[in-house]
Amino acid sequence: MFEQIQFNSVTEFFQMGKYTFHVWSVYGLFSIFILVNLFLPRVQRRQFIREQRNKALRDAQLAKNTAGQQERESAKGESS
Amino acid sequence: MWQWFFRLGSPKWFYEMSGKWLPWLLVLMTVLMSVGIFWALLFVPQDYQQGDTIRIMYVHVPVASISLACFPLMAVAGVITLVWKMKLADMVAKCAAPIGAWFTAVALATGAIWGQPIWGTWWAWDARLTSMLIQFFLLIGVIALRSAIESPDAAAKACALLAIVGAINVPIIKYSVEWWNTLHQPASDFSMDENSAFGPEIWVPLVIMIFAVYLFFVISLILSTRNEILQRERRSQWVMDIVANEKV
Amino acid sequence: MSDTANNTSSSQPLGRAPIAQVSTFSAFKATLKRDLLIALKRRNDLLNPLMFFLIVVSLFPLGVSSDPQELTRIAAGAVWVSALLASMLSLDNLFRADYEDGSLEQLLLSPQPLYFMVLAKNISHWLISGLPVVLLSPLLAYMLYLPADAYWTLVLTLLLGTPVLSLFGAIGVALTVGLGSRGLILAVIVLPLTVPVLIIGAKAVADASLGVPIGMHYALLGALLALSLSLAPLASAAALKISVN
Repeated sequence: MFEQIQFNSVTEFFQMGKYTFHVWSVYGLFSIFILVNLFLPRVQRRQFIREQRNKALRDAQLAKNTAGQQERESAKGESS
Repeated sequence: MWQWFFRLGSPKWFYEMSGKWLPWLLVLMTVLMSVGIFWALLFVPQDYQQGDTIRIMYVHVPVASISLACFPLMAVAGVITLVWKMKLADMVAKCAAPIGAWFTAVALATGAIWGQPIWGTWWAWDARLTSMLIQFFLLIGVIALRSAIESPDAAAKACALLAIVGAINVPIIKYSVEWWNTLHQPASDFSMDENSAFGPEIWVPLVIMIFAVYLFFVISLILSTRNEILQRERRSQWVMDIVANEKV
Repeated sequence: MSDTANNTSSSQPLGRAPIAQVSTFSAFKATLKRDLLIALKRRNDLLNPLMFFLIVVSLFPLGVSSDPQELTRIAAGAVWVSALLASMLSLDNLFRADYEDGSLEQLLLSPQPLYFMVLAKNISHWLISGLPVVLLSPLLAYMLYLPADAYWTLVLTLLLGTPVLSLFGAIGVALTVGLGSRGLILAVIVLPLTVPVLIIGAKAVADASLGVPIGMHYALLGALLALSLSLAPLASAAALKISVN
């Protein structure tokens, strides 16, 4: 089945007969489609993890602050 | 069997298993895709009528055939969502809709480009293109409904129902469009059926490309379903562990 | 559904008379009558789809051409597209008022099979908004110079086709009844589903005006009507249950 390459030269290969634009635009579109669909989920995943981490940090900070406040308040109450 | 079925329904189990499968699927897809594309571009003989545009078939036909599989897939997931209330099925259905819309759009574009030399225009109201366009509208409808309903639970059920209704309608639309088209104008000589006298040098690379694009569909579906799982299970411990341990 | 009926009657405390069982048919009739009465009281809702139909059809000569020959060519499609749009527009008041005043919830809780209740609502809605459009269509077809042979075909195909439009539309309405702004999303969901009806109906009228036999077209439309009569109310009922919670 791999009898022969259908083109005699590289230029001929890029020319694709009369249909340079037709063939190459389809393959270009297809490769963009594949790359976008494989990489977009990865970007989204990273974004998600970053968001969740920031949120966890914020929550920890908030918990610490409120805990500190409560401590201070209770200390104030004892001193007075 | 049922145990397996319900374990598959657990998002955590799916996440872990799909994580193990993904590298293998990616490797297999890359190999098949490169073999298929090289074969299609370099070794497939020119068609005596279509010349080099025959090479467009190796992208268009796989993408189109998979975009047709999208509605049945969503309908099956919809039935599972409605009957067994399985969360994972809904996540798959939710992710399948935009991916299916992408596939349909690419199939439309490549079909139009493939048809241009034959029809003389970039768009023809050919039966296959028209029913593909209407399927695209249906998918847009499902996506729009999903984004319009706020409660995720109600959105899941509503979209499941719409997917089932759409899947029943897709064949009706397909046949009515074909009927309309054949009566309007003589059938174009641009059809797959008459190429049934294909030699293996034509269809073997086509089969390889169909498998490769199928794998691509499965991989992108798994990838976005995994994101969806993380998003929905973000309050559970195992997701928090992943978030804490992964290097970004 | 009959299970629920039994449950409600058996869960009645002893000593009290069980609720009188209402037969499905009389509940069907009551729903139909109620909806028709409400609609007859609101004259504007009756007139609006008709006016819309009239306006859209008269846009075609303005937008395309006033040349009789050209209008003859597009008449079948123009009338059908306008009828489709008019039935889309009138869908909005199918379940909405009932949803807002809570009677839709009552309907969902009723022991009668929901299929028949939804079907009754569909039928009354079609009688109010679909039938007038069908009856007005010959006049508009005359204004678009439709060939005389095609008048009966136009009326008959619309008579078979507009109920299908209503039935499909009801699914979309039921899915979106709880949403705040739903005009556009309703059209996006429902319009693609109605493509087969439009294709067959418009084609039948066009073929009739050319003198082509059209038995096949009627058969297809009838099949669509039978299919949607048996399945669409089921889907609408399921959708209502999802939406009303």
